[in-house]
Amino acid sequence: MYTLLQFIIDSGFDWLAEQDPKALILAASAIGAGITMVARIGTAIGQGYAAGKAAEASAMNPQTIRQTTFVMLLGQAVTETSGIFSLVIALILLYTNPLVIASGIGIVLICSTLGAAIAMIAGFGPGVGQGYAAGQAIEAISYRSHMQGSIIRTMLLGQAIGQTTGIYALIVALILLYANPLL
Amino acid sequence: MDIDIRTFVELQGVPFITNTVTTTWIIMIVMFAASMSVTRKLNMIPGTAQQIAELLMEGIHWLVDNTMGEDKMNFAPFILALSLFILISNFMGLIAVRHPTADLNTTFALAGITFLLVQYHGLRAKKLNYIKGFFQPLPFLFPLNLISELALPISLSFRLFGNMLGSIVIMIMMYMFVPILVPIIGHIYFDLFIGLIQTFIFVMLTMTFITLAMD
Repeated sequence: MYTLLQFIIDSGFDWLAEQDPKALILAASAIGAGITMVARIGTAIGQGYAAGKAAEASAMNPQTIRQTTFVMLLGQAVTETSGIFSLVIALILLYTNPLVIASGIGIVLICSTLGAAIAMIAGFGPGVGQGYAAGQAIEAISYRSHMQGSIIRTMLLGQAIGQTTGIYALIVALILLYANPLL
Repeated sequence: MDIDIRTFVELQGVPFITNTVTTTWIIMIVMFAASMSVTRKLNMIPGTAQQIAELLMEGIHWLVDNTMGEDKMNFAPFILALSLFILISNFMGLIAVRHPTADLNTTFALAGITFLLVQYHGLRAKKLNYIKGFFQPLPFLFPLNLISELALPISLSFRLFGNMLGSIVIMIMMYMFVPILVPIIGHIYFDLFIGLIQTFIFVMLTMTFITLAMD
């Protein structure tokens, strides 16, 4: 019978078979925790864009500095959501990775751990998009500060929908970790 | 607090009564008792409790009026109950109790209510045109339309759940490394601020989707 173990040995990964499977999962968790942090690039770009727009707005219309600063902080905090999602997956991988005590084929456990981490890279997109929305909202408020309430509501609504992609990534990561159908 | 949900009663291997369920019951009792005691004797010159209740009512009426329009004001009581429940649930982390909203069962039930309301009111307002909307622009796109409709409760429930789970995980780590004073900042951001924002987003999305289905 051509087992998965045989396949691993044949395909040049024979050193993998010699290791303790548990040690490999722990190693995969370590790499995975690092990979999840890639998503923070997008968050940083988005927050930087919002900050830049706020600086521009306060130069163009100094009377609305307080309002634009408030919207900047609010928008950046919502932009942070995808960063927080990847931080959560990283912390779960580091401290309470459920796959370490799960029973199954070693390579599948390792790949599930890495897959959960790679899924979180999707947080890159929502980070950039939400930051862009925040920046445009800041610009809009510097032009029409009396519309602040409705601009903030529209911004939050749009950012929440923009977050959906990141949420699907989180769902896949949590399924891989806690309810893996492949085990 | 724990990352895993604690189960008290199990029914055929399925968790039946968990710590989030008991917290939900307590919140329900508190909300029920508070609203009963406030509305028991209403005065023309309101007391403190009545003033707070009137403030909440007026705020929600303003929000519903601005988001859904004048003709859908009968949604206001539902929106107020929904937002108060989610808000109190999200603040539960402040007293080191697991948020009921950090349980997928709770958020999925709440999103399910929204989903059913969207379907029911869409069907009632547009009749056959609502079903016809699923076959537009081309009839063979029906499966895609169905999936995008089903994505609503999933994304709505996981948005709330993911944020609250995040607050739990990060607060546990914070208490592990710096157990004194510093977690206060974490509680302000992850419980108060994120809790408030997520309540607002959940309620706003509910109102927007119902309005979109009806108009």
